[in-house]
Amino acid sequence: MPAMPATAEPLVPAEVVSSVFYGAAVSDSLVLLVVEVVDGTPRIAWGNEGATRLLGYGVADLQSLPVASLVPSLRGAEVGLLLRRERSARVDLSVRTASGALVQVVVLCTPTPSGRTWTLQLVPADSGSERVRQATAEIHERRLATLTERSPVPTVLSEQGMRLAHVNDAFCSLVGLHAEQLLGTGWMATVHPDDLDDVIEQVVAVLGGRDGEIRARLVRGDGTERTTVLRLSQLFTPGVGAGFVGTVEDVTDRLAVEARLAHQARHDPLTGLPDRTLLAEHVAERFRPGAGGLAVISLDLDDLTVVNESLGHAAGDELLVEVVTRLRATVRPGDLVARSGGDGFVVIGEDLDEGAAVTLAERIGAALAQSVRLGGVDVRPHASVGVTVQTTGHRTAEDLIRDGDIAVCQAKAGGKGRISVLDERARAGARDKLRLVAELREAIEGREITLLYQPILRAGDRAPVAVESLARWHHPLRGPVSPAVFVALAEEGGLIGVLGLLVLDETCRQLAEWDRVLGAAAPQRANVNVSALQLDDHLHGHVVAALERHGLHPSRLQIEITESALMEDPSSAREVLGRLRDLGVSLAIDDFGTGYSSLAYLRHLPVDVLKVDRSFVAELADGHPQIVSAVIALARSLDLTTVAEGVETDEQAAQLADLGAAYLQGFALARPMTGEAAAAWYAARTR
Amino acid sequence: MTTAIVPAPLDVQRILESIDTMAAQKPVAAQIVARASADDTSAKELAAILAGDLPLAGRVTKLANSAYFGMSGRVSSLQFAIAVVGFMTVRTMATVALTDLDDESRLPEDFWLTSTHLAQAATMLAPRFGERPPDALCLGMLAQLGSALLHHNDPEGYAELVAEEPDLPSRRLAEERRYGIHAQRLTAVALEHWGFPRRMVAALYSLDDLTAPDGALLRVAFEVAARLSSRSHVPVPVGRLCGGLLTEDALDLVVERVRAEAGGLRLAMLG
Repeated sequence: MPAMPATAEPLVPAEVVSSVFYGAAVSDSLVLLVVEVVDGTPRIAWGNEGATRLLGYGVADLQSLPVASLVPSLRGAEVGLLLRRERSARVDLSVRTASGALVQVVVLCTPTPSGRTWTLQLVPADSGSERVRQATAEIHERRLATLTERSPVPTVLSEQGMRLAHVNDAFCSLVGLHAEQLLGTGWMATVHPDDLDDVIEQVVAVLGGRDGEIRARLVRGDGTERTTVLRLSQLFTPGVGAGFVGTVEDVTDRLAVEARLAHQARHDPLTGLPDRTLLAEHVAERFRPGAGGLAVISLDLDDLTVVNESLGHAAGDELLVEVVTRLRATVRPGDLVARSGGDGFVVIGEDLDEGAAVTLAERIGAALAQSVRLGGVDVRPHASVGVTVQTTGHRTAEDLIRDGDIAVCQAKAGGKGRISVLDERARAGARDKLRLVAELREAIEGREITLLYQPILRAGDRAPVAVESLARWHHPLRGPVSPAVFVALAEEGGLIGVLGLLVLDETCRQLAEWDRVLGAAAPQRANVNVSALQLDDHLHGHVVAALERHGLHPSRLQIEITESALMEDPSSAREVLGRLRDLGVSLAIDDFGTGYSSLAYLRHLPVDVLKVDRSFVAELADGHPQIVSAVIALARSLDLTTVAEGVETDEQAAQLADLGAAYLQGFALARPMTGEAAAAWYAARTR
Repeated sequence: MTTAIVPAPLDVQRILESIDTMAAQKPVAAQIVARASADDTSAKELAAILAGDLPLAGRVTKLANSAYFGMSGRVSSLQFAIAVVGFMTVRTMATVALTDLDDESRLPEDFWLTSTHLAQAATMLAPRFGERPPDALCLGMLAQLGSALLHHNDPEGYAELVAEEPDLPSRRLAEERRYGIHAQRLTAVALEHWGFPRRMVAALYSLDDLTAPDGALLRVAFEVAARLSSRSHVPVPVGRLCGGLLTEDALDLVVERVRAEAGGLRLAMLG
């Protein structure tokens, strides 16, 4: 063997080429043919075993076979498409076997450098992994299509931008159109024109790779609208591009239910009128500070309670509905009528000056005053009407509405059926009151409310038996504020609870302090006033807590309640007082004689003492002892003791003792004093 | 009347070689045609290639923003435009550019009118035939590529042939006689050569075989285009073309919609 030059490419030995060729020839998986052109006709020159097996020809039969008879689908010059001279070709073809059957193959045709022969490799298409993969993919796609097709969820599928390639039956039903009308961009016509831009925007985002959700109205073929939520996801098909799949939820009915519920939540179910919250929103939307023209006409029906109690609640409801009908018929188009409470209504009007607002209020008053027949009875509904017109003094919408409330209170205070225009003085008064409530709250929190104690003496020997706690408020600027004023303010401003607790706790603390300083000479009992608003389930707990906190026996405390407070809710009052009495706390009815208590009822109340009102005691000086005498006799007959209040002279004291009053209280006997002064007073009495 | 027998002036091989020459002259379009079919091709990658051919890139962006895709001018980037119109459409546009189909002076009469009719009809009917509308659009757009190639190579002879044989089946026979291959088969060869999907190629190969489902959609699309053509045409019952998949009534609707909408598609595709 000659030596190989060091720079030459290594040659592949001939036997290697031969073995590779032989291997190819005998391989089961390869089908090889060699074609050459003989007399201008391409013919098979050679075929391997795979070729004879696939085509069913013997090796000898295969030789010289014209290529055209093997590939019947290539006609005439088309065989030239396969047998390219300068490049390989790959063609999907049917080849005809010896039996005449057609077999689908992929033909890879490679020319030899001479350009006269070609090697054909035939790959049966059915065995190709690509075909299997494609078939599998098609089955998957068909399954998915079937699933989507039968799904009750309206579904759309785009393969290019907004162009739909597929819509399912549920979507067609939703919009009432055929699939052919919806495919491509046809469906865009069903999207409400006002929503289309947003839908496209969302599709842009989804095609960019994000998921999207949007609410859009769809217009059905019959012109009706459905509100839907479109949920979109990107659908990227490799080698194809980006589309989206969208599911559509018809939320029309759900939204209608929600809207109905929302309406119900903010409207009075009986009359269908907006409630107070909606009223506030309505005013707030229209309120421009410094501008004018907004008018609030507030009405309170004067007779609703009477109708409810005498003719029944059904008649009361009938009355309310009738009132609303009349209100609606009387106000101007665009005015709002709202229900502000049980018997209260508010009309909001725009572009009204005070004169026009009063005229409207008068028209309303006149319309309401027409009689209405309820349960066979003619009733003339009257309303107290308050008129407020926006001024520069109203800084917020709330100011204006609140002034409407003040105006109607003012109208009510003036008597039934009145129309009252909120003037500056009334507005100033109301604001002053609001300020005072705020200051009272601060005073209570800062323990600036102080207590004075007025002794109660036995009528016979003038010996002190108890003290009454009296709250006092010394305002830093206004000076002393009358208890009648600040207790009423506390009741209106929701402060009576904390004020009551302060008095209860401070009284108990003072009793304990006196015990410590005076021992046996200390006041044995203190009377604490309780408001009607405190007569609830919590009172018992508060009393127990205060007594325990200061280590006192319940007998050291007497609760005073006014006669009118007792009568506000008699059965509840009886229960609350019963529990206190069971605890060992005694009870007194304050200002007795000024209320309207039923004597029969009084008999069943768990009270120990009647306090004769100071106005009756004052009458003694005028020679009218009859009422005092009657009260004392009544108390005695009910086994109750009596305390006469407001004793201002010794004569009165003597006269009351003669009339049988058990105990006395008043300036003539002892003035209200501080805890310290009371201690000194008691100490002096003991000496 | 006797028809002169004209010897075939063309060699199919030469036509195919001319395609290769075209690819060399327009490398970007050729690259797009080659890459767009690969499963691992991304819009980003195609955009990078397409950016090398500004007129083509501009045409794709314009198409994405056309009314045809309903995106209302919101497609600003080339990459997004490719995602919107789909790779197959980009590929079709590249093929149009590659084969000079955008030069109407070198095309048979009414070439684009017929092509947009074919494309619109195929797109609309695709779901009914189990085909993807984007693929059907491209098949319709390119179905006459073979006619254009024949016309390129034999302008006068081919124009004469078309004038003499207005009906497609007989024209195909005349094309075979004259060129050894008819136009749709030449289209199939070219698309196969460029690696277009097998289903598209199969549709073209099966065009004459009325029993072959593969060619049904394209046969019906050709029938729609023929009915919309200004040339005289004896309608072929559509049921025969598609194995009864479509009725005449349904086809009438399609014909009307194609008549109405093909203009928009033509504007979108060709500007």
